[in-house]
Amino acid sequence: MTENKEKWNFKPIIGLTVISLLICGLFFPLLVTGIAQVFFPYQANGEIVQLNGKAVGSNLIAQNFTLPIFFHPRNDSASGVDPDITLQDAYSQIPRISNATGIPADSLTYIVNQNQEGTLWIFGSPYVNVLRINLALIKEYPSIYSGFSG
Amino acid sequence: MIDAIQAISVVLILGITILIARLIAPYLVRVYNRSPSRLDKVLNPVEKFIYKICSIDPEHPMGWKQYFLAGLLLNVAQMVIAFLILVLQDKLPLNPLGFPGLSWDLAFHTVTSFATNTNLQHYNGEATLSIFSQMTAIQFLQWTSAATGICMGIAFIRGFIVGSKNLGNFHVDFVRTITRILLPLCLIASVVFVVMGVPQTLNASTTVTTLQGTTQSILVGPVASLDSIMQLGTNGGGFYGANAAYPFMNPSPYSNIFMISLMLLLPTALIFVFGELLGKKREARPLLWGAYILFGIALVIAFIPNIPLVASGIETRFGGFMSNFYTVTTTAATTGSVNSALSSMHPLAITSGFLGMFIQSIPGGKGIGLMYMVMYIIITVFIVGLMSGRTPEYLGIKITGRDVKLVMVAFLIHPIIILIPTVIAYASGAAAAIGVGGNSVGYTQILYEFTTSAANNGSDFLGASGNTTFFNIATGIVMLIGRYASIAILLALSGSMIVRKRGGTTGLKTDSPVFTIVLVASIIILVLLTFFPFLALGPISSFFRGLTNGF
Repeated sequence: MTENKEKWNFKPIIGLTVISLLICGLFFPLLVTGIAQVFFPYQANGEIVQLNGKAVGSNLIAQNFTLPIFFHPRNDSASGVDPDITLQDAYSQIPRISNATGIPADSLTYIVNQNQEGTLWIFGSPYVNVLRINLALIKEYPSIYSGFSG
Repeated sequence: MIDAIQAISVVLILGITILIARLIAPYLVRVYNRSPSRLDKVLNPVEKFIYKICSIDPEHPMGWKQYFLAGLLLNVAQMVIAFLILVLQDKLPLNPLGFPGLSWDLAFHTVTSFATNTNLQHYNGEATLSIFSQMTAIQFLQWTSAATGICMGIAFIRGFIVGSKNLGNFHVDFVRTITRILLPLCLIASVVFVVMGVPQTLNASTTVTTLQGTTQSILVGPVASLDSIMQLGTNGGGFYGANAAYPFMNPSPYSNIFMISLMLLLPTALIFVFGELLGKKREARPLLWGAYILFGIALVIAFIPNIPLVASGIETRFGGFMSNFYTVTTTAATTGSVNSALSSMHPLAITSGFLGMFIQSIPGGKGIGLMYMVMYIIITVFIVGLMSGRTPEYLGIKITGRDVKLVMVAFLIHPIIILIPTVIAYASGAAAAIGVGGNSVGYTQILYEFTTSAANNGSDFLGASGNTTFFNIATGIVMLIGRYASIAILLALSGSMIVRKRGGTTGLKTDSPVFTIVLVASIIILVLLTFFPFLALGPISSFFRGLTNGF
């Protein structure tokens, strides 16, 4: 084959390295950033949740709840920041919250059920987002949670 | 075990993915045949400009050596520039959290890992890499390794086409793969990910005051642009250490299914491209059915045990079933992203993962999986030829002694670069140094580390604990050999086909269902003969221990 005798040309190598870096490493991520920030700013910035005008967390990232009056997240999941707990987990925490706050267990069960997610039921058990149900508690019982309304 | 509805949903997800792959295959064929397209108006001037400033002659044909070297040298140059970016990230822009430059061995490991399409990560991205590094080192190499893999697969197919005179031009294939395939597909996928909740910003973190009054840093960044290429390019490297278990990478059950589908899309589409480029669509059947029958077997193995709804190491929003499905898919397509902690997976699911990485073509990485499947077909044709006393033929081409030697070398590289380093890791004390024991659990982790490197997969048990000089260098070398030696040998095989005579159809019919069954059987026998003892010491031993002591 004649190809072996040809002199190797390094210009395409250098040129394509620079151009692929510009297209793949800069142009594309910046293009997506532009589209995301203009059309979907809420998702693009991490689904930050606000309470009375203050950023209190992200819908998708677990935050630490230790007080007995709140629902608690898991502390053993793969990502370490699993924002959700199963319905059973939520139900099991209801007696503690009810004891600490005096809110009837039935009302807490109702709030949990109202916020149930996991519409793809065939793939797993239904779950609730911990931050979302805690925010629902604050909204529903402002007097009990008066110190936490931001 | 899984129930009927879950089984049906698996079949539906795979069926829809195969259908979409079938639909985009003709477009891919037109890209590589340089057929006219509606995108020409926009892209022709761009591509011509690129060819001009890079002094690329688009009509210059390449043989296998030239094609391979063009790809290898480009990848090396890309590794060098990404290496510099990682080592010098503290002096480069967009480093809002002020991370220092990477150590030379971690940077070497990382660029090798991403350039070889492995994406094994010995670091946690959110605590190590600047936004600039995430874009211009990580995402950059995810694109270029994906494009290189597809090009190699396409060049490989060209060697088998009747009347082909060369394998094409690597530079042109590389540019067109980026502009006409990856850019549009990744753009669509990235936007879908953003809509599903994946962040895309140049900020690295947002600080909030939690309801209980503490300060929390929400770590964000250009994640959606990574999500798309990591899955479509069968890369698998995550923005965060927790990979696709991290809610910002994979926010919902929907994004999880979308990811499974994306991983399989291009490897499957290229199987159809194989049939179309050859002008013999039926010849794609043994590749497609062979791949998906074996993938099905891997799924069945993983689904045998009782799958917990949610357990430690499994994210609530996915549940045990979707985590298992994802784990089998990520190894079958050698992607390597993970949506759960592998250490929480049942030993049978891990065994199934090993099978995907041992075989490397069910359907395997895009381009490369196809090359391996043709390798298995040639081995099978040879074995059947020996048994029936006929001259082995594939696609009307007589299979020579040299061909069989080449495919056997390509096949045997894999066990050699997995097993020898595994032994060295124990003999040198490198495994003990990171606290991995010599029992079946520890052995599984080390065997997995080198298997994932050799198969250019990228899922792993070690994670950041693998950031030692030994594991960085050892797995780096294994990844390089696993990627480039196999590609070179299989391209040499394909390149030698160009000059050969095509006979009639006197040989074995390789497009028949019977052949597919024989192919599947011979792959299982080959892989079990080679790897069974090593599986027996690892996950299978863990399985039997679990049966008596509980999992």
